[in-house]
Amino acid sequence: MTLDRRQFVATGLGATLATTLPLFPGIASAQERVVKFGMCQDFTVVYTFVTAEYSQGQRDYFTLVNERGGVAAPGGGWKIAADIVDTGNAPQRGIEAYERFKREGVILVDPLSTPVSRALVSRALQDKINLVTIVSGRSDAADGSAFPYVLPLSPSYWSQAAILVEYMAQQDKDLKGKKIAFVHIDTAFGREPLPLLQELAKRRGFELLPFPYAPPGNEQSAAWTQLRRAKPDWTMIWGGGVGQTVSVKEALRNGIPADRIASVVWLSESDMKVVGNEQAKGVVKVEVAASGREPKILQDIVREVVGKGKGAGPQELVGTTYYNIGVMAGAIMVEGVRRALEASKGTSVTAEGLNEALRSIKGFTAEGLIPPLNTSKTDHQGGGMARIAQWDGKRWAAKSDWLAADQDVVFQLIHASSAEFKKTGT
Amino acid sequence: MFYRAAGIRHVSYLQTRQLWPLPFDRALLAFIALLFVSAPLWVSPLVLNTYLMPWLLWTSAALGLNLLMGGAGQVHLGYGAVMGIGAYGSVHIMRAGVPFELALLLGGLLAAVIGTIFGAAALRVKGLYLAVSTLALQYLTDFVILHVPKISGGTQASLQVPTLRLLGQPVTSDTGVYFVALAFCAVLTIFMLNVKRTSFGRALAAVREKDYAAEILGVSAFRYKLLAFWVSSFIGGVTGALYAFCYYKAVSPEQFHIELSVQLLATVIVGGLGRVLGCYFGAALILIAPMLLNRALAALARGHGSVIGTDLVTHAPLILYGGLIVGFLLFEPLGLAKMYENLRNSLLVWPFRHTRR
Repeated sequence: MTLDRRQFVATGLGATLATTLPLFPGIASAQERVVKFGMCQDFTVVYTFVTAEYSQGQRDYFTLVNERGGVAAPGGGWKIAADIVDTGNAPQRGIEAYERFKREGVILVDPLSTPVSRALVSRALQDKINLVTIVSGRSDAADGSAFPYVLPLSPSYWSQAAILVEYMAQQDKDLKGKKIAFVHIDTAFGREPLPLLQELAKRRGFELLPFPYAPPGNEQSAAWTQLRRAKPDWTMIWGGGVGQTVSVKEALRNGIPADRIASVVWLSESDMKVVGNEQAKGVVKVEVAASGREPKILQDIVREVVGKGKGAGPQELVGTTYYNIGVMAGAIMVEGVRRALEASKGTSVTAEGLNEALRSIKGFTAEGLIPPLNTSKTDHQGGGMARIAQWDGKRWAAKSDWLAADQDVVFQLIHASSAEFKKTGT
Repeated sequence: MFYRAAGIRHVSYLQTRQLWPLPFDRALLAFIALLFVSAPLWVSPLVLNTYLMPWLLWTSAALGLNLLMGGAGQVHLGYGAVMGIGAYGSVHIMRAGVPFELALLLGGLLAAVIGTIFGAAALRVKGLYLAVSTLALQYLTDFVILHVPKISGGTQASLQVPTLRLLGQPVTSDTGVYFVALAFCAVLTIFMLNVKRTSFGRALAAVREKDYAAEILGVSAFRYKLLAFWVSSFIGGVTGALYAFCYYKAVSPEQFHIELSVQLLATVIVGGLGRVLGCYFGAALILIAPMLLNRALAALARGHGSVIGTDLVTHAPLILYGGLIVGFLLFEPLGLAKMYENLRNSLLVWPFRHTRR
């Protein structure tokens, strides 16, 4: 190919443009009394709308705190500054964002993604930066002695599975001889509850029937044909995103009564709309934070943030499942900052101080949004409490009180896994 | 201009066979090599270990894939899995107490063996059919890693990588790890530049152009197709292992999924099939560009916080990134390396364009 002048100029321009790209500076705000959080989350690939709603709740809560003058401390409030970056659920982009955050003085990172958080674990432990993995990440990080800087601060997937089984036992009086089908996405996340369920099957005497489906889960008919033949008493579905709505649809199509379908935390109002609000009536799921706008904290947000036009997203999403989990995450983080400031008498918030604070929360309920959270140096899960919510055609209504179940088995698994990490982890 | 060819006379065979006969090329190369070697002095640790080092490792992976695709003309859609086999293999071998250097080679050999077994499909099928056969390698590897807790590292499917030790010395600093990656990439680049001039490289080219014509000429297509897979998988395995040791520090299955395979394929194609320089450019565009675009948009958003919403900030980089790939390929279908070559060719005779051809 010969190069004429126009092409020559265009090539030159292109090359110049390419070389200037790296020169975009990362503007660091040098304000005083600011606590920096880094949110490197997946807005574009797998979690998409989950992250969007979660992040909206989180930011609205931070706005609420900042509008009230920041986290109160002697000598003036501390504002929360949350930096948001998309990682597309790719570990290398999560690492890139993390490394950048680290140098910008961020003391807490929230990836809301299991792959990304797993890739960050060894770095966070080494750099002593708080890695918050609310409803995601490694379950065994609940063992604080092995993972001092990894903070799940929410019921792990193992605890959630145990609560679902407990609910089934309460409904049926006894699970002996019953069949529980476990339909899960065939990834590490989907397979995670298996050892716990096997253990519980032994303890409670039910028969466990696992049915995996291939990720991403928009095609599951093979699993459900087999499941129908097995005639289970309960069907537990374990997936995320598109797979969940397909699971509920397939379950209903295969004649499973809606109130015998029990799901992991990842099922929201939007999912139910996809299935059909009426058809899905009766489906139950684990709920780690109350949904709806009734909790006081939500009413404050509606009044002081959304009502004043300062909301971070569409108004109709305020009070939905993932939005409220976002508020929960924000509230726990801010509680950590508040306690860290209390300890330092309002002088500073360091990563170490925040870590100390987040690992010693006692009885925090975010004004009724979540069950009491009690963390310690050895327990980063904080109690493993959640409740069962049932879809009533319009919303997720609470079906049980906050409860925790079979924590001894859960911690057996946690310690087995964390011991392995301690032994080989470097 | 610059690339002055006047007055260069080849007086010995050695001289005619030089990789870079023009003094300017050599000077430019020396300058770039110097920049790379001195990078730890003038580049922040952030840039060093989150942009430069992954870039070098991706380039290495792309070089390995390019030998197979550009050199021997065999498509591979499971190169990410090959890297994964190398990474998991060497991590497990090193955890069993084998020194790092040996574990790296054994991981590479493991990847080479498995990669070659699947590459054997190339003896029967070509093109898209081969692509699908290599895709099987990707899915089988994913499946096996996920379903064997001994390999994946237990219920959490995350395997901690032991500290990188060279000759018994732990290498943990940003600079040290960077130099490991740089050394590997440099050795690989020199190998790739020279392989085309060896009998092996020429045999691969013959197989690439027409395998039965090569057979008639006395080049065993059977042997060289398998060798191409062997060499390329070995490089992939070692690169995957280094990626785990230098960068990830904990391996989990999703790091070596189909996305990686497709991205590496894109790297080779956007960079330019069969071109060594193309791998560098391709890796920069496919791996680094999204990160920088993200950064640029985020910086822009911080300036005009209320005007640009989160939705736009998180999605716009993807649009720009897609635009860049399509734009570059429309502008020069033969890849980014060809763009540099065009520039160089035109500078060779500039401003006397009429003297060309």
